Amino acid sequence: MPGLFPHEDAVAVRNRYKPDVIKGDMDSVRTDVVDFYIKLGTKVVDASHDQDTTDLHKCVSFICDFTPDLEKSKLCILVAGALGGRFDHEVGNINVLCRFKDTRIILISDDCLIHLLPKAQNHEIHVLSSVVGPHCGLIPIGMPSRSTTTTGLQWDLSDTEMKFGGLVSTSNIAKGETVTVHSDSDLLWTISIKKSQDSSP
Amino acid sequence: MEVVHHSSAFLLPSVAPDHRPSLNYALIVLNQRLPRFTPLLWQHEQHSCGSALMEAPTGCLTKCPACSLTKTLLPSETGMISFRYKPDVIKGDMDSVRTDVVDFYIKLGTKVVDASHDQDTTDLHKCVSFICDFTPDLEKSKLCILVAGALGGRFDHEVGNINVLCRFKDTRIILISDDCLIHLLPKAQNHEIHVLSSVVGPHCGLIPIGMPSRSTTTTGLQWDLSDTEMKFGGLVSTSNIAKGETVTVHSDSDLLWTISIKKSQDSSP
Repeated sequence: MPGLFPHEDAVAVRNRYKPDVIKGDMDSVRTDVVDFYIKLGTKVVDASHDQDTTDLHKCVSFICDFTPDLEKSKLCILVAGALGGRFDHEVGNINVLCRFKDTRIILISDDCLIHLLPKAQNHEIHVLSSVVGPHCGLIPIGMPSRSTTTTGLQWDLSDTEMKFGGLVSTSNIAKGETVTVHSDSDLLWTISIKKSQDSSP
Repeated sequence: MEVVHHSSAFLLPSVAPDHRPSLNYALIVLNQRLPRFTPLLWQHEQHSCGSALMEAPTGCLTKCPACSLTKTLLPSETGMISFRYKPDVIKGDMDSVRTDVVDFYIKLGTKVVDASHDQDTTDLHKCVSFICDFTPDLEKSKLCILVAGALGGRFDHEVGNINVLCRFKDTRIILISDDCLIHLLPKAQNHEIHVLSSVVGPHCGLIPIGMPSRSTTTTGLQWDLSDTEMKFGGLVSTSNIAKGETVTVHSDSDLLWTISIKKSQDSSP
């Protein structure tokens, strides 16, 4: 985090952005960093015994476990740092979206955001044009989609088939404030994030 | 069944002439931030084409048709422009290239092909089609297209580029970034991946792109698959480790293979 505030004292930044929990394999975190946050009151959960799930999966599980059932429909998990870098990491993180289909999880990078649109639901995406768009896409992740219908896109789909090796809706344009999507298959929705955003709080 | 060989020898500063498989490389540079070793790939392709010509049975040095049309460049708006890296062809929608850049390359002899009338295919698709069209059928099995600048940035661009791998399943196309490379392993073939540990690995993955895979079997990985099912929402082999020099893969489904590129590579040619 201090890297995002180059003109500020690193310790002050770390104090401001103290995590509640550090959880994962603990194989890529320095011990002095862990000790620093323990002193600030952060809870550290070592989950290295579980090699079948990624760090993101462990964290999402953790958050879901702590969320009362009645609150789960209002929960939205934002994930920073899930995209770019190694492609297999990126795919592993996208797979977490597919594994937790009933939980709103949004992966965010400097350039775009991604979230799942579960199948057989009427999705209404509100495009805040001051911060996102217009470049967007719909991706049939995991299996071909026999039928997708949209409104609000430059190249709308109308009961259109999508699959890898054929049509995948990329480099599309969100034309207005609302995009609707209905599909027989789980789709990934992605939209660009505008560069002119001043990101400092 | 015939074995399909895969190698990342193109990442080495120089390629041994007997390195398998013997391929003709083409380089596509997309209009995005480029991996640090793009200049190495560019220089390297000239060498590999040259040595193949020297060994031709006829013994004469004729200009290889694949060489003269192997470099298709869409210049970055913020990248450096150099006489040393003159593309043979610039092809695409022409919607993200500056006109002064295009004029610069025309004066150097680059052929410019405006394909903006075709809005159904990405720039990468157009470039791959172009290269395939210019490659004689007999040469197609030896063609390997390297693509720099296809990963990172906007996710829908990345997916569009990956979809080009799926659309051209019979053509070797390798997407390369600073961190990793990706290529398709078509279904129902015995794939043998030669892991050059000085330049790639050990982190790798196998991804069932497009549809679930009922059965995949591998050797050479930390967590090998054995007639294992893979699908999004279930098991996808990521954060795996290539243990030795060779990884074999056989699947009932098209898979993406990805392996990390080592950081300590000196990328200057």
